[in-house]
Amino acid sequence: MSVQEYLMPRSLPEALDLLVRHGAELLVIAGGTVAMPLVNEGISLPERVMSLRHAGLDRLERRDGRLEIGAAATLTRLLNAPWVADVPLLAEAVRNTASWPVRNMGTVGGNLFTPPPGGDVAVALLALDAEVRLASPRGERVLPLTAFYTGFMTNALGPDELLAGITVPLAARETAFLKLGRKHANTPAVVTVAVALEREAGRVATARVALGAAGPHPMRVAGAEAALVGSPLDAATIGRAAEAATAEAQPFTDGVATEWYRRRMVGVVLRRALERLT
Amino acid sequence: MSSSIVTFTLGDREVDVMVTPMTTLQTVLRYQLGQTAVKEGCRQGGCGSCTVLVEGEPMLSCLLPVEEVAGRHVRTVETDTPTDGVSPLQQAFLDGGAFQCGYCTPGMLMTATALLERDPHPTHEAILEAMAGNVCRCTGYTPIVAAVEAAGERRG
Repeated sequence: MSVQEYLMPRSLPEALDLLVRHGAELLVIAGGTVAMPLVNEGISLPERVMSLRHAGLDRLERRDGRLEIGAAATLTRLLNAPWVADVPLLAEAVRNTASWPVRNMGTVGGNLFTPPPGGDVAVALLALDAEVRLASPRGERVLPLTAFYTGFMTNALGPDELLAGITVPLAARETAFLKLGRKHANTPAVVTVAVALEREAGRVATARVALGAAGPHPMRVAGAEAALVGSPLDAATIGRAAEAATAEAQPFTDGVATEWYRRRMVGVVLRRALERLT
Repeated sequence: MSSSIVTFTLGDREVDVMVTPMTTLQTVLRYQLGQTAVKEGCRQGGCGSCTVLVEGEPMLSCLLPVEEVAGRHVRTVETDTPTDGVSPLQQAFLDGGAFQCGYCTPGMLMTATALLERDPHPTHEAILEAMAGNVCRCTGYTPIVAAVEAAGERRG
C-alpha cells in the first residue's frame, strides 16, 4: 500500500494535533534521510506521514549560556551557525556525519532517532550534557539526553509527544571527537568517541565519555568516566579509561564491522581521543 | 488516496505535476518531466547519483517527497546545460575524460556546480569534502576531482 496522505503542519501545535488525531499509524519525519530509504524499499509502509520541516522547529539560538537547537534544524545550518566554532565538539561531529547533500536535509533532532551505527551528532551531544525538550498538547518536559534513549530504536517519547528541541549548556571544557570508519568521509562508524573534560590543578575534575556504534544507542560509559576523574591525564589513567570503556561497550556485528573488532576499537579510539588532550 | 498538484520552478520554467502523496522528486523529475540525467541509483541516499539543487543546495532527490519543493527552485543537469553546447564545468569533464560509464556524472556535476558557486576556486581538499557523497563505482575519482579543479582554475 502506498502513502495515503503527506501532512505538512505549519506550527508545533498543529503538528501535535495531527499526532494525537492519527496516533501510532503516523510516521513522523524531518529530513527524511533515515525514514525515506525504508519507505523507498517498502520496509516501512506508512499510511500517513507527517513532515516536521515547516513546523517552525528549525530555530538556532545562542543565549543565556546555552544553545537552543530546534529539532528540525538541518545539520548544514548548525555547521553554518556563527557560534559553531565555540562548540568544536559539535562542529566536528556534524562535519563527520554523512555527506553534504545529506547534511542539507538531515536534522539535528533526526540524528537522535538514527539507529546505530548512525547518530554521531548524538554522541557529541551526550558528552556536552545536552537536554531534550519534548512537547505534547499538555506542555513541554525536559529530559537529559541520557534518559531519552531506552533501547535499540526506542526512546522516552510518549505517544502524544514530539521532540521539539535540544538544549546544550555552554561550558569551558576540553573536548575531543574521533570517529573511526572504513573510509575517511561519508562513512558509517566502526566506533565514534566524544570526550568532554574539565581539569583542576592538573587532575581531571569532571569527565564525560560517550560512545557511538558501541551499543544499542549512543551512550555514556560511566566506568571510563570514573577512571578519569581525580587522576592526572597521563598514559596510565588513559589506559584504565580505555580498558573500562572496552569492558562496558555493548558492540554489535553489521556490514561495517564485527562485534569483536568494534570492542577492540573502542579502547583504541578512546585512547587516541584522550591523547589529543594531553 | 488523493492525488494533488504540486507547483515548483524547474530551471527557468514553472511546472505543475499531479502526484500521489510522497512521490519522490527523483521519480517526478525523471519520469514526469523528462529529466533523465537524474539517475536512480541506490534510493537510500548513499550514492549521490540523484543529486539536484534545491534553492542552490545539493539535495538527494530520491529522499525528497516532491511536496517539499512546492514553490521552490529546482535545478538539474538539463536545466543547467546551455541550449547550444555545454557548460564550462561540463567542458572540463569532457576535456579530462572524467567519466567511464557516466552513471554518477550528473550527480557529480550538480554537487560540483553548487561547490563552485560558493567557492569559485576550491582547493583539492575542499573538492574531496564537498563530493564525498557522490560515489563512482568505476572508481575514476582522480580525473573527476581534477576536472572540478580545472573548472575552478578556468574561471580565472
